Amino acid sequence: MAAPSKKAFELFVSKIPWTAAGKELKEYFGQFGAVKKCLLPFDKETGFHRGFCWVGYSSEEGLNNALQKDVHMIDGAKLQVQRNRRPFEVQKLNKDSEID
Amino acid sequence: MAALLRSARLLKFSPSGLLQITGTKRNGPPLSRLYSGTLGGTRTGVCPRNINPAAGNASSRVWPNAAGCVRKYSVVTEQKDETSVAVQSKQAQEFDWALAKLDSSVRRTGRITKSLLLRIFHDICRKGYPSGNQALLLLRSCGSLLPEVPLAERTELAHRVWEKLNELGAQYDVSHYNALLKVYIQNEFKFSPTDFLGKMEAANVQPNRVTYQRLIASYCLNGDIEGASTILGFMKTKDLPITEAVFNSLLTGHARSGDIESAKNILAVMKGAGIEPGPDTYTALLNAYAEKGDLDSLKATLVTAASDDCSLMDRDLMQVIYTLAKAGHQQHIPELTERLRQERGFVPDAMNLCLSLITQGMEDSAFHILKTFPVLQSDSLTTDSPNLGNFFLRHCVNMDTSLEKLGIYCKALQELNLHAAPLSFTLSCALEANKSGMSFALMKMMKEQDLPVRIHYFWPLLTHYMKDMDTSGVAAALKCMQELELSPDSETLTNYILAIYPSMEAARQALQDAGMSLQSEGVLSSEVRSVALKSLAELYILLSDPSFPPLDLSFFRGSLILGFRRSDDVETMVKITELLYNDERFTKGTNMPAEKVSYLLYNLIDSMSDDDVQAQEEKLRKYFNQLKAKNITISQNIFRGIRNLLDSYHVPELIKDVIVLVDPKEQGQNNPVIPVKRHVGIAAKVFALEKKLADLKAENQPISAVLRQLIHTLCAEENLQRALEVKQQHEEAMTIGSYAVLLNLCCRQDNVDEAVNLKREMSRKDSSLVLDTGKYLGLVKTLSKHGRLEEAVDILKEMKEKEVLIDDTQVTVIFHILSSLAAKGNTATIQRLQETIFTLGLAKPTTNLCSPLISAYLDSKDLSGALDAVMACHDRYKFLPRIHDIIVGLVEEGNTELLQKAMDFVSQKRGEMTMLYDLFFAFLQTGRYREARKIIETPGLRARPGRLYWYAEKCISANKMESLEQMVDLTTKLFECDRDEMYSYILRLCKETNDWKKAEVVWTKMQEENVVPRDRTLRMLADILKNNGQEVPFDIPETWYEQIDTTPKEKPATNTVTQQQTPTQVGAERQVHLLTLCKKGKVKEAFELLKDSKERGLVFSPSIYDQLIRSLLAEGFMEDAMAVKDIATSHLPTFQLSDTATSLLIVTLSKRGLTQDALEKLRSMLSEDRVPTQLSLTRLVQALGNSGNVAGIKEVETLLKNLGMNINMSSIVFVNNIALAHIKNGDMDSAVEVLEEQYTRPDSVKPSIAFVFRKVLEENNEKAIDKLSVMAERLANHFACYRPATDLFLQLLDIDKVEDAKFMLARCNAVAEQKEMLVSYMSRKAQTPGQVGKIKTLRSLIPNFTEKELLYSYLMKCHFLDKDLPSAKALYEQMQKEGIAADELSLKRLATLLRSEGETVPFTEPPESFKFYADKLKERAEKSQMMAKE
Repeated sequence: MAAPSKKAFELFVSKIPWTAAGKELKEYFGQFGAVKKCLLPFDKETGFHRGFCWVGYSSEEGLNNALQKDVHMIDGAKLQVQRNRRPFEVQKLNKDSEID
Repeated sequence: MAALLRSARLLKFSPSGLLQITGTKRNGPPLSRLYSGTLGGTRTGVCPRNINPAAGNASSRVWPNAAGCVRKYSVVTEQKDETSVAVQSKQAQEFDWALAKLDSSVRRTGRITKSLLLRIFHDICRKGYPSGNQALLLLRSCGSLLPEVPLAERTELAHRVWEKLNELGAQYDVSHYNALLKVYIQNEFKFSPTDFLGKMEAANVQPNRVTYQRLIASYCLNGDIEGASTILGFMKTKDLPITEAVFNSLLTGHARSGDIESAKNILAVMKGAGIEPGPDTYTALLNAYAEKGDLDSLKATLVTAASDDCSLMDRDLMQVIYTLAKAGHQQHIPELTERLRQERGFVPDAMNLCLSLITQGMEDSAFHILKTFPVLQSDSLTTDSPNLGNFFLRHCVNMDTSLEKLGIYCKALQELNLHAAPLSFTLSCALEANKSGMSFALMKMMKEQDLPVRIHYFWPLLTHYMKDMDTSGVAAALKCMQELELSPDSETLTNYILAIYPSMEAARQALQDAGMSLQSEGVLSSEVRSVALKSLAELYILLSDPSFPPLDLSFFRGSLILGFRRSDDVETMVKITELLYNDERFTKGTNMPAEKVSYLLYNLIDSMSDDDVQAQEEKLRKYFNQLKAKNITISQNIFRGIRNLLDSYHVPELIKDVIVLVDPKEQGQNNPVIPVKRHVGIAAKVFALEKKLADLKAENQPISAVLRQLIHTLCAEENLQRALEVKQQHEEAMTIGSYAVLLNLCCRQDNVDEAVNLKREMSRKDSSLVLDTGKYLGLVKTLSKHGRLEEAVDILKEMKEKEVLIDDTQVTVIFHILSSLAAKGNTATIQRLQETIFTLGLAKPTTNLCSPLISAYLDSKDLSGALDAVMACHDRYKFLPRIHDIIVGLVEEGNTELLQKAMDFVSQKRGEMTMLYDLFFAFLQTGRYREARKIIETPGLRARPGRLYWYAEKCISANKMESLEQMVDLTTKLFECDRDEMYSYILRLCKETNDWKKAEVVWTKMQEENVVPRDRTLRMLADILKNNGQEVPFDIPETWYEQIDTTPKEKPATNTVTQQQTPTQVGAERQVHLLTLCKKGKVKEAFELLKDSKERGLVFSPSIYDQLIRSLLAEGFMEDAMAVKDIATSHLPTFQLSDTATSLLIVTLSKRGLTQDALEKLRSMLSEDRVPTQLSLTRLVQALGNSGNVAGIKEVETLLKNLGMNINMSSIVFVNNIALAHIKNGDMDSAVEVLEEQYTRPDSVKPSIAFVFRKVLEENNEKAIDKLSVMAERLANHFACYRPATDLFLQLLDIDKVEDAKFMLARCNAVAEQKEMLVSYMSRKAQTPGQVGKIKTLRSLIPNFTEKELLYSYLMKCHFLDKDLPSAKALYEQMQKEGIAADELSLKRLATLLRSEGETVPFTEPPESFKFYADKLKERAEKSQMMAKE
């Protein structure tokens, strides 16, 4: 748990409609497996989120289940879902979010 | 946005989509229609088929200037300098960036947003000194380019711009007044034309034709025919031409005065005056009927227009729609929307129409038009949801359209399946626009429609309330939440609500007033969060209160951590930690409180950056220590996590403070290994040679050399006869060179038979002999000229066999061979040669090489043959040489059948667009302008700058003004046509023919067309006027580049236009070229280029000058660098060297010993708060030291200290150089004193003074060496300070004074013990090739200064660097003998050496990279060091 190098099972989700917030995303992505974290950065200036988020599963299975599904829709909008390939940024953003 | 996406997709299928168009049954063969003039029944010319709608808008012609500026600065962004480039130029860049944005906006959408326009306006004001052009640009933007802004507001804005820029000193000329008039007309602004003329008179600006035209237009818009007639009278007295535009205005005038019959009669009057009514005339008439709501007449006029062969574009029809809506006859709009063809540019135009309608409160009409928008077929390709009408909804929200209407539109959009979520989109617009009331109402509407309404929908509004500290806004939002049965969660509360209240108490009150429960987890956790950020002490009080309900730590951990990071109150931190540790209220679920706190500590450290942790080290230590005192423990696992974090932050010192927290039960399970951290007469000569030849022959000696000389001399004399005789006499001694010279002479004298004989003879002697390319081609030329084609082909084949290469200049020779054959019309020969050359691959087919064949047909007037040949050429080589000349020929001949064939072919192979351009240029060339117009007005045709440029250049070089003017005129409405560029072509020809009258006409036309000229265009115009002693009626733009644009380009007029350069790109290209030269280190070349550019008047951005200055300085060319600075300053008065350049200048001055100048530079730099580089400081200090300037060094030291600059400069640099300065001055005692002090101070870090030793040793300053060595020994013997002695020893060793080094060692034994310094010396030496000897010497002096393993490893590295395989092998053998295992890095090095020498590697080569093993070794070394320390 404490080791930062531990493999993360993360999704990078974009094209998220403004109507969905962290709760809706967690709920939606929870159907594929236990979601350990869901990071949806909001713009403090505008009050709208930036349209992308990271979803971390606690197991590879959840991640694979989510990736296997072709189309992901939330509030009638098609999300773009892919395996997160830039974990370093997440780590940074993670830190920022805790400052919030 | 949707329009943008659409255009991108359409572009992809356009070439294939254009293929099917020619000769469709419906339209008949297009060309016959062209010749029959008005015979056809349908509206348009050649191909009345639309190319699909796409984004973009012809109004981009308004912005040529912007595009130019963008190019100018394109390189700048790439070359970003560290700091301080002149402030003004920075602003200029920002301004141009904004202009680029404006341009892009207009190109894409045909409109500008108000905010963008305002921003640019402010930028121009802030920059000061607005140019006339900038003013023109702004003024022209205040009209119909702002469909989202109400008409009155636009005019107001135009006036603001006018006044403000006038104040700032902008010079207004007639073009500005004309622009203002246009804006008045577009904004339907009522003004007095008499007053306006009065103002112009007062400003001493003469009205011109355009002014009068526009005044007439404004009178007419008011139905004032009398006023218009007065102006018209004026124009007649001034003998100004009455154009179509005037008639169009009069038509409108009559209609508005209620006299529709007179209006209609204008058409007849025009025809009577010899002016054909154009689309604009019909549009004016249509508008007249639209205003009256006379649908029947409207429809009848549309039919008349069509029968008059006048094609009305969508944009014309949209004007009529707008008129209908404004006049309240929206019921007739569908009649017109049906007729819209949705041609290219439809969407943005239609969007602008909708926006204008909404702005003026006619959203229903706008909605009707929205529904006619093309629905994307590509929707099936992507599953993206439809979202048509976003722009519509957004603008309705901005214009405060009623909720009821919004509801209706949303519902309709959804039902028509045009938009997936119109309501939520509308809400997002309302939120963005910060319209609370509308937002709340929309949310309620959504709830009624069972659409989800979520708490974060309130966030955008709340962010505004927070900024404005608007508590009543928050109260209203809370109330609305209640009505929607939503309760704010802790995120909402903490981030968006609580912070607005002065105290938690006030917040609680507000929540209570809104009827919110205060015990909810949301409220509680937000409260705890806000308190945690405010005061830890308060937090402790709150949490420790027994009445505080259970609340899991996860609800406030983030804020708590932030609180901890901000606070210095360790006591309270500990108290809170302890409370969390012991109290189960803060622990929900299965986690143990202890574990929870462990994670809190980990998260705390993890959330901090390395700088934070380093800065707060003491605080954290105290915190950990006190936790220990409170018996708080953490798990071994968590400890490892924290340890890794601290280690990565480089604060391992804290680890020991954490380790003690580990639960004693777990402790000792494993000892934590802490990991630790790159140049006679000819007759006489001939006689002499012949004699010598005879002599040699008599003596039976070799004659080849003399023979060759003789033949060369005879050939140079062109005496072929005698040369051949000589050859005959001495055939056996002929060399290849002699044959080659003879052969060449035969070809030149056109003696084909003798040439062939020579070649045969030569081959007989030795078939493998190879001539050079020029001789072979000469032979081919002579042979083909005499019709001996097969022999010519054989020569070509021989060239191929013997692999004779043809370079670019010789390709030109081939072209000339073929061209000379073309002049004789010898098509068969050309074809055969051409094919042979291409087939053999001697030369690659090019348009140029293919063109002689076509020229042969054209010269013999065989157009059919030419066409067939060009078609065959395309089939084989994909080139269409001289297609323009063929088409021109066909058009002149009137051979429609062949022309059709040619067009079909071009269309099929190169696309319809290319075909149309070919046809257009052919019609222009042959003076068939009416036909040319039909072609260029083909719907969907867009500007191809390269092709237009090609034709313009052709006209300019051939001095064909009429043709050029016609082209410019005909392309007025061409989509995306750069109008300024087009007019500049005419001006260039005017300049060449020195025709100032024409130039003046061009200027008026530009105003009429609303073209904002680029500066270079204005300068060209001004030059023409000035050269002819005419007054220049406008403000001439400041120095800019001139010559380069006005000189015709020497470009070959080939038939294919690839990407030819437009003149404006020259400046930018030079800029790039300059940078490239600098980067390649060709600074002198760059400097010459810059000087040339200056002559041509080109000015670059400051960063370019700076880059060149830096590059020149880097090479030590200080004078040249200063010359560049002078050039820059002459163009840009505020130009200043960048920090890096100034630093480099200091370095250069220092190196040249000009320390006073360097010091002066440093002073001025520091006084401007600019930061010099460390290198420049070091070099300066060293230079000062060299010149014995102790005071100077001290000044630098003080300067830096006073400014408190954070420069990573070791103080020893100053000390060493002060010492050297003393030595220079002969003051040894002071030098020793200064140095000694460094070691005898209690806080001494024992710095290296090797630099001082090195300097005195290099200068061989015996006296100093003695003094210093005595000092070193004293320090060693009395102070046990061995650093100076060791430094001296190593310096002696390094300059190969081995004996002295030995002596030093003998006096100071302890040097041998300084293993760390010795090893470090070895490792430094091992980094550069050729230093192995020094290491060996060191080893001979101190045999055991390090372990053999390490020594051998470094020795291997040296051999590797020296590429010395034998030594490496010997070393390896020695190691094996001594039983010392080579490490993987050494093996890898040896293996690489062996392989590079082509030897086999006798052992298994380590598979990983060098770096891998290097790191591995490092790690091992560090571990063992650690072990040693423990």
